[in-house]
Amino acid sequence: MGLISEQDSKYLKEEFSNNLKRKVVILYFKKTKDESEYSKQTMELLEELASLNENLSLVTENCGNEDKMKEEELTLCPSIKIKSDRMGFMNFYGVPAGHEFISLVEAIKDMGSENLSLPEDVIKDLKKIEKPIDIKVFITHGCPYCPGAVRTAHQFSLVNKNIKASMVDANYFRELSIEQGVSSVPHIIVNDKTGFVGNVPPEVFLDKIKGALE
Amino acid sequence: MDFSIRKTSSGSKKKHYSAAIIGSGPAGLTAAIYLGRSKIDTVIFEKILPGGYVTNIQKVENYPGFAEGISGEKLGELFTRHAEHFGSEIKSVAVTELNLDVNPFEIKTSDGSCTSDCIILATGTSNKKIGVPREEEFIHKGISFCATCDAPFFEGENVVVVGAGNSGVQEALYISNFAKHITIVECLDHPTCEPILLDRINKNDKIDLLTSHIVSGFKGDKFLESVDIKNVNNNEIKNIKAKGAFIYAGEVPNNELVKDKLKLNKNGYIITDEYMKTSKKGIFSAGNIRNTPFRQIATAIGDGAIAGHEAYKFLEGIE
Repeated sequence: MGLISEQDSKYLKEEFSNNLKRKVVILYFKKTKDESEYSKQTMELLEELASLNENLSLVTENCGNEDKMKEEELTLCPSIKIKSDRMGFMNFYGVPAGHEFISLVEAIKDMGSENLSLPEDVIKDLKKIEKPIDIKVFITHGCPYCPGAVRTAHQFSLVNKNIKASMVDANYFRELSIEQGVSSVPHIIVNDKTGFVGNVPPEVFLDKIKGALE
Repeated sequence: MDFSIRKTSSGSKKKHYSAAIIGSGPAGLTAAIYLGRSKIDTVIFEKILPGGYVTNIQKVENYPGFAEGISGEKLGELFTRHAEHFGSEIKSVAVTELNLDVNPFEIKTSDGSCTSDCIILATGTSNKKIGVPREEEFIHKGISFCATCDAPFFEGENVVVVGAGNSGVQEALYISNFAKHITIVECLDHPTCEPILLDRINKNDKIDLLTSHIVSGFKGDKFLESVDIKNVNNNEIKNIKAKGAFIYAGEVPNNELVKDKLKLNKNGYIITDEYMKTSKKGIFSAGNIRNTPFRQIATAIGDGAIAGHEAYKFLEGIE
């Protein structure tokens, strides 16, 4: 058995089959010459995931390829970016394991479909944003509140091309967490400056982002 | 690393259900199992993660069938899969408002609205704040209510845990995997945790237990730096250096949806009879949110079974 259990594989095949109406690419930027268990398991997981649906594929890049990193607007390594021809910036810095695995699956489903589960007034307000917004959701793998915050941020990016949303594994990127004052998760940092803590409803999430921009 | 998955949202836009369960902890999911087996069209609303508060618990050791213990995350997943197996739909959205004065009942969520012929409230409880100076200021800046979320941030640091009940002691044992030293502060003159847990903290060199003490204040600049501890017998205060404080000093009921709609007891818990019926016909309640003398996974499961069965009888018109 691989990292994904047979039961989960069956469930995911069904979910992907129902949701992936377009080609989705899992773009994995890995560290150069990284032989760690963290890196091996990430690769194994992504290969298993990509094999579950014909519309899903895995592309591996090296973080040493700075031009490619820049082109994809990525700043940390390792990174897993979920792409399709749908608008949206759904990214994961570090590994979405534990409770976060669900965030990865939801991002793949969203990118491969027309799914958007945000209230109408939030969508309307999000469309008005003209400034670039970079949302980083710091998480730990044991946090049950974090996937909700990651999903909200990722969904925001589906509405407005000015919005980029990334999950950040706070334990893996420990120095960055300390630098940003993260000591409780989910901790959401906007444009690498200010932020807030908690899995809040989409309308509150949006208000807090707007507040952080002022 | 663990990569297991739980269904989080059906994405269904259905507008009416026979039964709606609010909260997917052990009580809500058990009710769903019973309703599902009775072929009742059931939806469960969950604002955090299926499994409810159980998913916050590092290790559950008093739930029958798991003598060696099971992680709360795994147990929550098993409960969720069981409910799904019998056909319940789980929606990962927060319920924002209930209208119980109409038939069928109206349920507003962050993702739209629907109606249901009956409702089971299983919204559980949240950890209580202790209400001492500067507590609010340091929440998320050293003060936490979730060890599985935040313990890793206190690697090699001193930590205070407030409360020596089962939750506080169990989480202190988990935090000891990261922290340098933990002081458990208990206001009573004895810990209220199970004796088996007390044995474990007594054997753990990293953990000290201070009974007959309360936390009287938090100190620090931008982040928590120390905690004032007061001896309740002589009022003597000492200051403990600690960058983290985890609070497990009781609970408050998550009753926001119904606090002016149903009869509650003086502490805000929903009053039910032995059939889990509330003061409103067609509305049932189960688990930690109701007036139960003992809040445990096992008791919530029992409540859920009764609530599910009684909701079925209500829907079928069986007295």
